[in-house]
Amino acid sequence: MRPRIVHRQVLAMGLIGLLAALFGLASLQSPVQAKDPAQETEKYCLSCHGDSSLEMTLPSGETLSLYIGEDALHASVHSGVGIECEACHNDISEYPHPAITYQTVRELSLSYYQTCEKCHSTNYEKTLDSMHAQAALDGNENAPVCTDCHGAHDVRPPDQPRSMISETCRQCHTEIVDTYRQSVHGAALMQDENPDVPVCTDCHGVHSIQDPRTNQFRVDEPEMCAGCHADAELMGKYDLSADVYEIYKRSWHGVDVSVYKARWPTIWHDSAICSDCHGVHNIRTTDDPESMVNANNLLATCQQCHPDAGPNWTDAWTGHNKISFERTPFLYYTDKFYGSFTHFTLWACAIYVALQIIRATVDRVRSNRS
Amino acid sequence: MSGKTVNLTPQERTFQRFALGQRWEHAILLLSSLVLILTGLPQKYRDLSISQDLLSTPERIMLIRQIHHVAAIILGLQVLYHLGRILYMMSRRKLPGDLLPTVQDLRDARDMILYLLFLRDEKPKFGRYNFEQKVTYWAVFFGFAIMGISGLIVWFPVQATQFLPGGVVPAAKLAHSTESVVMVIFILIWHIYHVHIERMNWSIFTGRLSEKEMRLFHEKEYERLTGKVGEKK
Repeated sequence: MRPRIVHRQVLAMGLIGLLAALFGLASLQSPVQAKDPAQETEKYCLSCHGDSSLEMTLPSGETLSLYIGEDALHASVHSGVGIECEACHNDISEYPHPAITYQTVRELSLSYYQTCEKCHSTNYEKTLDSMHAQAALDGNENAPVCTDCHGAHDVRPPDQPRSMISETCRQCHTEIVDTYRQSVHGAALMQDENPDVPVCTDCHGVHSIQDPRTNQFRVDEPEMCAGCHADAELMGKYDLSADVYEIYKRSWHGVDVSVYKARWPTIWHDSAICSDCHGVHNIRTTDDPESMVNANNLLATCQQCHPDAGPNWTDAWTGHNKISFERTPFLYYTDKFYGSFTHFTLWACAIYVALQIIRATVDRVRSNRS
Repeated sequence: MSGKTVNLTPQERTFQRFALGQRWEHAILLLSSLVLILTGLPQKYRDLSISQDLLSTPERIMLIRQIHHVAAIILGLQVLYHLGRILYMMSRRKLPGDLLPTVQDLRDARDMILYLLFLRDEKPKFGRYNFEQKVTYWAVFFGFAIMGISGLIVWFPVQATQFLPGGVVPAAKLAHSTESVVMVIFILIWHIYHVHIERMNWSIFTGRLSEKEMRLFHEKEYERLTGKVGEKK
């Protein structure tokens, strides 16, 4: 009997220990349940800043609203996980607050956004390499910082809904985004929050956004478009060919670009890349009369680089299509001819010469014997 | 070559095979084709790193294209000279016609293949140009026609499509690119074997064949010229 009792005790203690461990794990996994004192801070601050008429005048003469909407604050990603006012406003710990030294509202933003680095150091550092940071370095104080895109007190997931991203960029790049929204990609995004079409950040990057006018960006572009347009599954969804990139790579333009990409990515090249013919933000389907590659506009598009091209010229372009009798009869017959002629020549020569070598060797051996 | 010793008399009789002009034509054709191949293949196989080493700067691509075009012009002029000379000789009824394919060539080819398959003991007797040499001439003749026309189309695509349908441009590109490789393979296997390995045939440079070569390889021509019956071996 004894051993059994001991067993039970051990079992009970083990069970309790396991429960405790599970409980601990559970509490570790949900830091969402913030500690009470912190939650108090938010309430404490809002007791003044919840007043919509609270404002002050900065030395620049601008009015700085000091009102923080409670709903917006609570809807932010930070408030929900217990990250509160003093996490960012780390220079303020008591009331009355230390005197504000900022001359302008912008100056205040440019100072406060730097606290983002404390938690989001990777993305923060990426922005330092971006062309936005370059614009700031060049003296543009309106070059966007974290809070311009993400918001300050109302930080939310930037892609919910997905069209929100284009809205964010549109704050500054209005004309481009409006053009984009007319495009096949933008229209699908705006109409039904299409999850597949590229939004601004898919092509331009997110935090380390680079100048898209560089030679490097140009030479990398076809591969970027291929990211989606060579994906057979994705293209199949929209009844588009996924061969366009492979066929482009073998074309005159594509071969040129591949050499530049491999050897001289920083040297400008004039060989056409996707956007030269299809447009950039204004890409449309080929049957759209406004598309640059619509049959009616194609010659004009070619003439951007081939100014003397005549009306027959557009047929010289195989349009990313595989060789077929219907579309490219000349190419089709040439391909058919060489498909057999090359092999015939190679094998006929090789077999005939091999037979000659065999016969000559045998004859020589025979004549040596005799 | 064989174990038997051949008595080479100091003044062995030789036979005129190619006139000086023909030897120059071949030399120009050989050199310009070599330049065209060496500058063409790196453009065709631009993905290979060896090509990219050669085309190491954008200026080099332009240079290599220019060399290709200059060599093409030289070869083109040579071909025009050749065709012009044929027309001139035809007008004077002096074109020999030795190179024209005949029914005898088909018989020779059949007999030669039977010989190679050990179904015949003797090689057929050949005339001035055997069917192998005629195949070489006509393969190069039509090969150059394709290369020349397709080359001009891809060199001047905009001008070409002023009067030709656009579809010929990608077709010409494919033809130019593929025919070149077919020709290179053909020359490497067929021509190089027949003039370098089977026997070292210098006649396209020296212009002459020895009596022994004539007897062995152009027996009918030898008989026609000398009235003697060529002895085998």
